[in-house]
Amino acid sequence: MIIPVRCFSCGKPIGHLWAQYQGRLSKGEDKNKVLDELGIQRYCCRSVFLGHVDLADEAAQFKKF
Amino acid sequence: MEIELLSTSKDKSTIRFLLKGTVPAFANLLRRVILEEVPVMAIEDVDFVKNSSVLYDEMIAHRLGLLPLTTDLTFYKLPEKSENMGKGRAEVELKLTLKAKGPGMVYAKDLQSKDPSVRPVFPDTPIANLLKGQSLELEATAVLGRGRSHMKWSPGHAYYKYKPEVEIRGEVKNAGAVIEKDHNKIFEMKNGKLAVAKEAALSCDLSLEYSELDPAISITARDDEFVFTLESWGQLSPKSILEEACKVIEEQCTEYAALMKESA
Repeated sequence: MIIPVRCFSCGKPIGHLWAQYQGRLSKGEDKNKVLDELGIQRYCCRSVFLGHVDLADEAAQFKKF
Repeated sequence: MEIELLSTSKDKSTIRFLLKGTVPAFANLLRRVILEEVPVMAIEDVDFVKNSSVLYDEMIAHRLGLLPLTTDLTFYKLPEKSENMGKGRAEVELKLTLKAKGPGMVYAKDLQSKDPSVRPVFPDTPIANLLKGQSLELEATAVLGRGRSHMKWSPGHAYYKYKPEVEIRGEVKNAGAVIEKDHNKIFEMKNGKLAVAKEAALSCDLSLEYSELDPAISITARDDEFVFTLESWGQLSPKSILEEACKVIEEQCTEYAALMKESA
């Protein structure tokens, strides 16, 4: 839905890095390199980024119950 | 016991040090006190005035709770250490308000804090997205708390390992093969000879995996020295986390000693 504020496993705050990550990926940069440079070292935090699908804008168009 | 600083990260949020002349139990005590007992600020209650965003109130409250807030431990007190659990007291509770209208993303920086010294550490953390016509209005209450009741009150991440001792005794026959298999770069070539890269050997988590590369290489772990890593989430500096942890250990030991005396 929306990027988690922190990593699920270790608790590192990572939410603020999502926009940068997306921006750099759209310029064609390598995921591995971008994650390294953003300081996302552990595989728990990396998996949050790699597995995330940002559906917040799509979901926002439907009614909330 | 001795402490020797090994490295500090560029942004000063992570330190790595050697704990010398101690036992695993003490290293673990320090780790657990850092994770569970060092108090930091976090949002605990949220009152919603309006929320027409796609996220439920609970989800937004949860996201707000997870935001690390810069913490001033000289002013703020834990609710349990204040009279009447500190209801409405300035040194216990801090109000933050948020008012936003769509379209656009609501960020942590949109939170208006009553105390400028307490603010979100990462102002660009997204809270919720709003479409045109949607709005969000809320009042949050931040309090000091401890990691043992919720990890949002944990100041950082702390971990340690035995200090690896990497040694090369005598001639290494096939240095090229060792270098090739050494993915963590704990060995390097110096003047045509295999040598140990000390920094990398200390920070590598898998040093022991390389002990069978060559009969001349010996890798052992010391059980009285620890490589301790402390990663701060930003509420406090690593130094103040350690200082606070030491205070907590001292307090608890004093309490324990007093209780033992009473019962004796």
